[in-house]
Amino acid sequence: MQKLLSRLLLLSMLTSLGGCASLGVKPWQRDLLAKKEMALDAEGVDLGLDDHIYFSKEATSGGRAFAGGGCGCN
Amino acid sequence: MQLSNKGSIASALATATCSLLASQSVAAETPSDPNPWQFDTALLYYGETDRVTAIEGVINASKDFGDEHIFNGKLVIDALTGASATGAVAQPYAQTFTRPSGQGQYTIGANEVPLDDTFHDTRLQVSGQWTQPISENYRVSGGLQMSNEYDYQSIVLNGSIARDFNQKNSTLSLGMSYAFDTIKPEGGLPVAFSSMAVYDDDEYESEDEYDDDYNATRNDDSDTKNTLDLMLGYTQVINRRTIMQFNYGISKVDGYTTDPFKVLSVVDSEGYTQANLYENRPDSRTKQSFFWQTKYAADVGVADISYRFSTDDWEIDSHTVDTRFRFYLSENSYLQPHFRYYRQSAADFYRPFLLQDQAIPEYASADYRLGEMTAYTIGLKYGMTLENGDELGFRLEYYQQDPKNAGFNAPGVLQQMDLYPSVKAIIAQVNYRF
Amino acid sequence: MKHQPITTALPQSPWQLYRRGDYLVGSFTAMASPCELLMDTVDLALGQSLTELAWRECQRIEAKFSRYKPDNLMAKLNASNGKPVSLDAETHSLLSFAQTCFELSEGMFDITSGVLRRAWTFDGSDRLAEANAVEALLPLIGWNKVTLDNHSLTLQPGMELDLGGIGKEYAVDRVSQLCQQQAPELSVVVNFGGDIQVTRPRRHQAFWQIGIENPDPTSPAPLILQIRGGGLATSGDARRFLLKDGVRYSHILNPKTGYPIINAPRSVTVAAGHCTQAGLLATLALLHGDEARTFLDQQGVKYWLLN
Repeated sequence: MQKLLSRLLLLSMLTSLGGCASLGVKPWQRDLLAKKEMALDAEGVDLGLDDHIYFSKEATSGGRAFAGGGCGCN
Repeated sequence: MQLSNKGSIASALATATCSLLASQSVAAETPSDPNPWQFDTALLYYGETDRVTAIEGVINASKDFGDEHIFNGKLVIDALTGASATGAVAQPYAQTFTRPSGQGQYTIGANEVPLDDTFHDTRLQVSGQWTQPISENYRVSGGLQMSNEYDYQSIVLNGSIARDFNQKNSTLSLGMSYAFDTIKPEGGLPVAFSSMAVYDDDEYESEDEYDDDYNATRNDDSDTKNTLDLMLGYTQVINRRTIMQFNYGISKVDGYTTDPFKVLSVVDSEGYTQANLYENRPDSRTKQSFFWQTKYAADVGVADISYRFSTDDWEIDSHTVDTRFRFYLSENSYLQPHFRYYRQSAADFYRPFLLQDQAIPEYASADYRLGEMTAYTIGLKYGMTLENGDELGFRLEYYQQDPKNAGFNAPGVLQQMDLYPSVKAIIAQVNYRF
Repeated sequence: MKHQPITTALPQSPWQLYRRGDYLVGSFTAMASPCELLMDTVDLALGQSLTELAWRECQRIEAKFSRYKPDNLMAKLNASNGKPVSLDAETHSLLSFAQTCFELSEGMFDITSGVLRRAWTFDGSDRLAEANAVEALLPLIGWNKVTLDNHSLTLQPGMELDLGGIGKEYAVDRVSQLCQQQAPELSVVVNFGGDIQVTRPRRHQAFWQIGIENPDPTSPAPLILQIRGGGLATSGDARRFLLKDGVRYSHILNPKTGYPIINAPRSVTVAAGHCTQAGLLATLALLHGDEARTFLDQQGVKYWLLN
């Protein structure tokens, strides 16, 4: 059941890709998106430190970035 | 304005324009190197009430060597000291435990949660990552990371490819990472479900006798763990203010996943501990995660919201909501509240304790991090850009974990014990970017 | 820390560069306008450096002269309250240029007339300004009340400067100059929201074909222009006017009366040697109201006029 659910989620994610074709902006409309703080990995150092804390204190890791390995902290 | 004698205006304006433009030196304001090295540094303090304290320093250096050929190098050093929950249950009397190394003992007071206070480690991690375009719409990235602790080594390789389309409004990426980890705890790896030997003058006639018992709980010196991660990502610009990302990740761990420092208490029907057995976890784990993130550029700041769902074959499901909102205080400073909520279900082999009259299961762990729990983080960051363009930031956060009883009935005296104590931590951080 | 895969490619640079046929287009947003650089080359490195240069220059000019920034020289001048403010060379030459325009137009072009915005809102409605509100603002207008000497400017208390009427054209010319200096052999079109400068003729073709927004809002097709060199600027905004009792009030205000110019063309596009010069000619034409066409004919420049 769990596996079926995840496959369905993946499928719906992939099909939504087709619907995104009309989204977006013209190249000269990127003034706001080009701000440093709008980068998805802005504050990368903070996110990395957070990942390390939660990796060692919780059972789940990854999602935003690769999940595994690298530390004996759990 | 009369229309007589106006024929000269155009030429007079031409002269004025030329003198305006000529009066300026045409020297462009170009810095000598348009893409200098960029350094991001941070120092973090993490402190739990009565438990672990960690100090972590990060130096991240990146440089664009032109045409988006980007190198990123990172150095992380962290030092950990303090006490960590062993998995054993509290008892209405003082308990004595053997340190994981076999050298020495420690005693936990009556009604107190058993913590092993010999935890101390220093970790050094270095990594490098290279990213570059290979054609107009394709980019590749590859990296290597190595980390070394007293009892743990790790090497991670990663690679990914991304394709932009729809005028770079959409990006599809596929990434892979492979980690080789080696664990080599002092004293060796414990034998699964062997009983912790505790030196006791009444019980042992000589230290040699105790050593024999301790050694009987040990087998190999070291073991390995390999982790393969695959990640499919999709990023979409929604409009001028909004960008969205979806990631699907699958992670497969093979090898030694057990924590060699953790035990389970075997209790009788009155709840009294009869023995403490070293835990044992499955030798593989397959995890899937779904991650969604949206960033929105408002006039007053930037909103960042993400949600992650993760599920694995240890039956741990988790939900994470992470939100940050950056409020601009001025052109060069901001205040950023942070809120994170986390919830996980228990691993199918999680047991807060084992019952004496029941068979020992194939796998069991009393590590609260595999049990049911909720956790939240609230924090605030203040950042500012200095006159020379460097950036300085301060972050203060509070993190609390609240383990829950996943439906286990505590016998006898355990009903009076705190089997699911909360963990409270303060996170303080300073960032400097130059 | 786990490495993050390259999930997003979104370039962190505030400008974009792409190839269109046999030339490159660099684009970004500045001064509230879409800005483009057309470069007659396919050398990406050259395209990147010129686009970066143009973007930086726009950022610099906007930061220095925008009246919307709280802490720049304009803000300092507008808050000077009758005290002299010392000027750097660039500001001095821009203000001297504005002074020349004031003199040439016999007071019709006046960078102190921006205060009238407090009384007038051009939203296509029939709401004219209150007569006493306009009356109250008139004492704050008039370049002749301003003292510009070699190094400083003194404004009367309450007066304000607004370089909006020449800032964008000036930026076009400045960027064009920088491009010419960096790549003297290269033909570059600098196009900031329809204000255009072409540095030199193209290599293989005689003309650049440039689409500008059609000044007639009822026509969906862009106006395609063929330009070999020189500057081009448009003044007037077909969407900003007031209409009352059949009279169309343009958003161009007469600094002497405080009232809009009546029966001015909806927009005027002028071609001249430099963008700044073209922009001034277009603005002066509008200030001539229904005599705009006669004025332009007398100047002997090429123009497009929309009534």
